Amino acid sequence: MSEKTPVILEIKNLTKRFAGLTAVNDFSMEIHHNRIHTLIGPNGSGKTTTVNLITGVLQPNEGVVTFDGNVVTNNPPYQIARAGLGRTFQNIKLFSAMTVLENLMVGGHSKVSQSLPAFLLNIPRARREEKLLREKSYEVLEFLGLAKIKDEQVKNLPYGLQKMTELGRTLMLEPKMILLDEPAAGLIPSERSQFVETLKMIYGKGVDLFLIEHNMDVVMNISHYITVLNFGSKIAEGAPAEVVNNPEVIKAYLGERFKNPTDTVSGGAAENA
Amino acid sequence: MINSIMQLLVSGLAMGFIYSLVAIEYTLIWNTTGLLNFSHDKLITLGAYVFVGSYSLHLGLPIPLAIVCSLLTLWVFGALMALVIFIPLRKKTSTLFAIMGTILVGKIIVEGIRLLYGTFPMKLTGFLAGTVHIGGTAIATAYIATIFVSILLVAALQFFLHYTKAGKAIRCVSQNQKAASLMGINVNKSIMVTTGISAAICCVIGIMITPIFTTDLNMSNMIGLKGFSAGVVGGFGYLPGAIVGGLIIGIVENLAISILPSVYKDVVSFALLILFLLIRPSGILGKKA
Amino acid sequence: MLHTIKQHNKVAYLILIFAIIAIVPFIINDDYFISVMNQALINGVVVLGLNFITGLTGQMNLGTGGIFALGAYVSALFNVALGLPAWVGLAGAVLMGFLIGMCLGYPSLRIRGVYLSLTTIGFTEIVRLLLNNLVGITGGTQGVQGIAPFRIFSFAVQGHRSNYYFILALLVILSWVSYRIVHSKWGRALKALRDNPDAAESLGINISSVKIMAFTLAAIYGCIGGSLYVHMTGYVNPSMFTIDLSIKYVIMLMVGGIGLVRGNIIGALIVTLLPEALRFMGDYYQLVFYIIVLLGAIFLPDGWLSIVGVLKEKIFTGNSKGKAAKT
Repeated sequence: MSEKTPVILEIKNLTKRFAGLTAVNDFSMEIHHNRIHTLIGPNGSGKTTTVNLITGVLQPNEGVVTFDGNVVTNNPPYQIARAGLGRTFQNIKLFSAMTVLENLMVGGHSKVSQSLPAFLLNIPRARREEKLLREKSYEVLEFLGLAKIKDEQVKNLPYGLQKMTELGRTLMLEPKMILLDEPAAGLIPSERSQFVETLKMIYGKGVDLFLIEHNMDVVMNISHYITVLNFGSKIAEGAPAEVVNNPEVIKAYLGERFKNPTDTVSGGAAENA
Repeated sequence: MINSIMQLLVSGLAMGFIYSLVAIEYTLIWNTTGLLNFSHDKLITLGAYVFVGSYSLHLGLPIPLAIVCSLLTLWVFGALMALVIFIPLRKKTSTLFAIMGTILVGKIIVEGIRLLYGTFPMKLTGFLAGTVHIGGTAIATAYIATIFVSILLVAALQFFLHYTKAGKAIRCVSQNQKAASLMGINVNKSIMVTTGISAAICCVIGIMITPIFTTDLNMSNMIGLKGFSAGVVGGFGYLPGAIVGGLIIGIVENLAISILPSVYKDVVSFALLILFLLIRPSGILGKKA
Repeated sequence: MLHTIKQHNKVAYLILIFAIIAIVPFIINDDYFISVMNQALINGVVVLGLNFITGLTGQMNLGTGGIFALGAYVSALFNVALGLPAWVGLAGAVLMGFLIGMCLGYPSLRIRGVYLSLTTIGFTEIVRLLLNNLVGITGGTQGVQGIAPFRIFSFAVQGHRSNYYFILALLVILSWVSYRIVHSKWGRALKALRDNPDAAESLGINISSVKIMAFTLAAIYGCIGGSLYVHMTGYVNPSMFTIDLSIKYVIMLMVGGIGLVRGNIIGALIVTLLPEALRFMGDYYQLVFYIIVLLGAIFLPDGWLSIVGVLKEKIFTGNSKGKAAKT
């Protein structure tokens, strides 16, 4: 699993300053295809800023972001999304006035290629495209086990199902990679393990995953490779077993709990490719 | 030549102060409720009508008493308006309803005025009429009075906001409602007081413009809109910005008509409004939000 | 399949409304009433346009007065000053709408909420002031007279009844276009960007381009309304194109139910016809009307007709909105 597969997302010397505070400092990282990568670190270490820099919400002061071979630094977020980088949000950003199905159909917006004038004039094609969009939504809903609740208002759903819906919506983008911002946050343990299983299913379908995560059970369960951030700088990087035994990481973030050679949880992740 | 420039400057300054006061009164409400009071120009009209129509012409009260009564009437009206409409409207999450709500209140006020006083314009002869001679130029008394009263009013307001308990409470509510209420400040009461003051300021504006414009139903439409421009140009939500913005609009529009045909006077303030909203929405003095 | 059933209901509703409108002149055979209905139908066109911006994206737009004015004058002047037939005037109005959409659209990207309402107010006022004062081009306060009606081959659309069916036909077509757009990916995208613009962007939706599209559609519809108006009346002057007109259109939108195509038509009908229906109130009509609209804004945010739904809930379930329980 540590053979060099192609790089799908690369950040080089990424720096972001906010009026005197350097949130992200000369951060470089490579995310490889077919290798689930997780970014961990204490609160305030710059994880969310990094995510926003990658997805185009913020512009870096220095550095380059390359996705799927193309430089995307300073591109607007919608273009980066269209290039195949999907994301989910820490606090879930669903369209609260819509149903589950409608949320997913909005996810497929950029994949329907017909322009507005064509839409107005070519009605048969418009009907076909809408039908295809709907069918694809049904497929994704089935895949995620959400088919029964497709017409429910998302604001009435329990948190776990909302998270799943957001994931489904992101899948409609047909992303090459999904960036998940604290996917385990707010989930109870049973929901969490189900979510992780779903992520592995998605990974199994060929979608790369990059997670920002706090919950070390999830991290150790799913990651093939971990990068650790502290005060905006990378302090360690490597396979999970290495990282959790790294004294710097232990000092800054983990504590002694995960430092145990017999703890083979991390080994499991490598086999779950 | 110097005469006419003097005239333009003084009238520009006077109207500038009027626009500043308008900007101040809606800024007070904006800061405490987050609502832009689109009915403010109708409150100005109401103040004028109450002063001229009810207290002076109808009841024949002496001017000072009429002024005081008008101010009190508008104060109470403002507080009631806050209680019945603004406080419920604040909870509306959609800007559309908040904006339309205050617009509709304004329309209701105008209809009320029309039904009570009729459509025939009124005039209070002798009030601030005539001219004053300054350095060989005849300047309308109304303009001089406007400038003096405005300066006094702004000073009084600053004193109130910075040195009285109620005023400080209002400033707290303007800055952070949650914190203010946690400190034991009755937010709703502050809002009612603020709206009362705002309405009273509208009353002052209304009284001051009666010698300049006739008292009719449309008297303050333009002033209300230019007041919006003043706030945006000077710095939205910021009282010193309101003052600066008003003076700029007042003087610039007067200077503009010495170059452009006078019919374009009104266009100037709207053009400035749009320009600033596009290029520098925080205004001249405003801090970037 | 719940979705398609609901859609069939909506279409049926619209067809019903248009069918009723179509037979009205045979029931109420009054010239004056027909002329008021004509005004209502034209208002319907404008509100359909306004719906794209204020209805779907939720952005406040008080510029319809100015948009209507510009469409009206372009069409009028094409005819009177350039001698072109009304259809060319209509095309000119559509082009004007397109231009306005591009111009008003860009500011709306950077300006939000109350500030946008101020900008659109400024726009309407500037248009009105310019129309009043550019006397050489627009005829100033005198306006433009002698505007020819639409001609369908040799038939001139003149007189109340001819105009009625002509405008109704166009309204039906424009409603159908509106309906299709609202129920398409663009309609969903517009609602999405009101709901959660960050999420919309993360899904590859180009918010700027979608917003400008909405403004352009609104402007085109508004300008078409203006063109229909001048060729119906034969005359136009700037006095009617005030901010109050813009406000009236937003009221129509609110009364009918924001976002719904049938709501746009119903709102236009109600607000245009109500003054006539409430003639008996005399001087008090306006006051009563505004109070009712204000109450509607506070208690019936989904439009006046939602009172049926609200009462039904209260009577049958005893509480408001018993929905699935949240965990």
